[in-house]
Amino acid sequence: MTEKNETVIALLGQPNSGKSTLFNALTGLRQHVGNWPGKTVEKKEGNFEHNGVHYLVADLPGTYSLSANSDEEMITRDYIASGKADVICILADSSQLERSLYMLADFAGITVPCFLLLNMSDVADEQGKSVNAKELEKKLGIPVESFSAPDTKAYDGFYRALERAVREKTSLDPGSLEKRYEEIETYTRVKAMIPADVIPGYSNVWLAAKAVEGDAPVIAKIKAALSVSDKNAFDTALSAVDKGVVLTGERKFAWIDELLSGVTKRTETKISLGKFDRLITHHIWGKPVVILTIVLGLIASFIPALPLMGIGQLIGGIPDPLNEALLNIGCPAFIASVLCDVLIRSVAFIVQMLGFVFGVTLVFGLLEEIGVMARISYVFDNTMAKFGLQGKSVMPFLISFGCTMGGAAGTRVIDNWGQKVLTIALAWAVPCGAAWAVIPMLSTIFFGAWTPVIIVVILLVMILHMWITAKIFGGSLVKAEDRCGMIMELPPYHKPKWGALFRYVFGRTKETFVRALKVVVIVALVFWLLSYTSSGDITASILYRVGHFIEPVTKLFGMGWQTFMAFIASSLGKEGALGVLSTIYTGAGTISVGSVVSGAAAENINELLVANIPKPEALALIFAMTFNMPCIVALAATYQETHSVKWTARIALYYTGVALILAGIAYYIGLLIW
Amino acid sequence: MKKLSEMKKESKGVITSVNGDPRFISRITSIGLTPGCPVTVIKNEKNRPLLVYSRDTMIALNRSECSLIEVEEGKGA
Repeated sequence: MTEKNETVIALLGQPNSGKSTLFNALTGLRQHVGNWPGKTVEKKEGNFEHNGVHYLVADLPGTYSLSANSDEEMITRDYIASGKADVICILADSSQLERSLYMLADFAGITVPCFLLLNMSDVADEQGKSVNAKELEKKLGIPVESFSAPDTKAYDGFYRALERAVREKTSLDPGSLEKRYEEIETYTRVKAMIPADVIPGYSNVWLAAKAVEGDAPVIAKIKAALSVSDKNAFDTALSAVDKGVVLTGERKFAWIDELLSGVTKRTETKISLGKFDRLITHHIWGKPVVILTIVLGLIASFIPALPLMGIGQLIGGIPDPLNEALLNIGCPAFIASVLCDVLIRSVAFIVQMLGFVFGVTLVFGLLEEIGVMARISYVFDNTMAKFGLQGKSVMPFLISFGCTMGGAAGTRVIDNWGQKVLTIALAWAVPCGAAWAVIPMLSTIFFGAWTPVIIVVILLVMILHMWITAKIFGGSLVKAEDRCGMIMELPPYHKPKWGALFRYVFGRTKETFVRALKVVVIVALVFWLLSYTSSGDITASILYRVGHFIEPVTKLFGMGWQTFMAFIASSLGKEGALGVLSTIYTGAGTISVGSVVSGAAAENINELLVANIPKPEALALIFAMTFNMPCIVALAATYQETHSVKWTARIALYYTGVALILAGIAYYIGLLIW
Repeated sequence: MKKLSEMKKESKGVITSVNGDPRFISRITSIGLTPGCPVTVIKNEKNRPLLVYSRDTMIALNRSECSLIEVEEGKGA
């Protein structure tokens, strides 16, 4: 029970057990996502109401077992021990029941009330497998329900099981499993030594089994409760075991076999790979097929994105006439400018990008749900492991060639928070669509036929940048234990639950909009204040004065104050740099977020640029812009996905610094050439 | 007795032992590969992860890790 009188239900299950789908279906838009205190693990909670009872759902991190090998597992165990949960819902995959019941076996011995959900019953049906849930219920003594997320009727069964588990406080009897544990000599000896109530909620059966498995935190807890001589006896007893996990593991699976005998029925099917699986596991075609899949997914995300992009463009058309109208009716220029240039343009900018976030979340959320993302992960796991990432990270990288914000949104299919943040940090190095629109153009103006060379160099620098960034941030974001070699399952394909998926996508898009709006308006307002002049003369602005003042420093990186301002503007939006340069060199108009976002430039911009910027400085600017912070919306999306101000700021400062260094290098190389 | 990584495509066997550091053993146990468990090798190509089928599950495993798993060939389902 929470203070608000909510019944707390915790979802426990292995990855791919359909935990997230259930969580989204139950809670819809009422979710809050954060991090577990002091840990790089995501904490997801949500609310729902059924039969007048308010529930709080905690989506525990997806882990394969309850050992102590990762933060995720420790958090899960500590959460169960904390007594916060009134009931634990354990999920298993009906189509792979034997393997996925390992979680239940590992849970056995914990006294917290629980019930078992046999998920993916639709997939099991298709494979000709059936489970007699009632029979299993008799054997286990806890409610057992067959369940499939897309089937709306299945939820009645879920609620019934939930209510009964809460009412009757049904806990799993580990007796039959213990009989098997007792075959392990050390188990019996160790169990006899364990005092009562070492960890609340965990029985001595569970503790003794974990001690045999060599579980360090459990052993430490037990020893803390023992006298010195008992401690030594305890250590001696444990030292007799070798590979305890294998010993208990064999018993757990034997127990599962016994549970399932007479409970499951199946028609023999030949094991074979499906068409898509044959393609992606092919040693030549695997990677191209996956890249093609992601690119097609990217194109598909534009379809739902287009209406929102159109709306954004319509909003973007409001400021100019509105500004004029406001000035005509005698509204102070200052207020009109804040309203039009800061507020409305920020909204227009975000709404345009939001379409892409919506599309990416929908399409790649769907690919995740039906099981395609796991295949993508499989194909690229070895490549991405070099960065300390999982194979899925390849998808946000590819999306980032289109839009970094979409790439950031795409990282939500990565279940490890540290790897998610690292993926976003690396995705920033990928030049986005706006960069590809501006950079080749700038490059052609200054370097003509050399443009392809510059683009190749940019791509090489990108890879080097990602590699170095992975080295710098990887250590603290991705723990050594998460860098193990690939051991993963290729889950069966399943049907999506459209309603839950759409609710989830709308929820995330709305949340992104709100958070992005806050960040963008603040940054836009600051930039606007810095660049505002009442006279319209750029040299009267604070930005100019600061730029001029620090010009000796920016010169070190090859940039005069004009190009440095363009660089600063490019961190709000790449297209903006041209607008800024145009404003400065034509001496007309103010620099505003408006000009930054719309990227309006004078017609003779090409001649102006060539006349005013020497080639080495232009090269410096090209690199500075390309590898700068992608844009403010990407910054906001990064904050939204990582929900960490610290990491968002760290990544942003790092990119600004690295962009300047790269600009400096480009400049000095440029000086050597020209 | 053979290492899992030496098994040919479509061959079957029963796991006899699992070696390696405790973390690996814990992980491989939790995915269901324990001694006594029948496995079928679905794919085994050079420089690619192995695909094995066991306990109704398609599992992808790194080659280097597969050499830590020993199998008695020809037995099992």
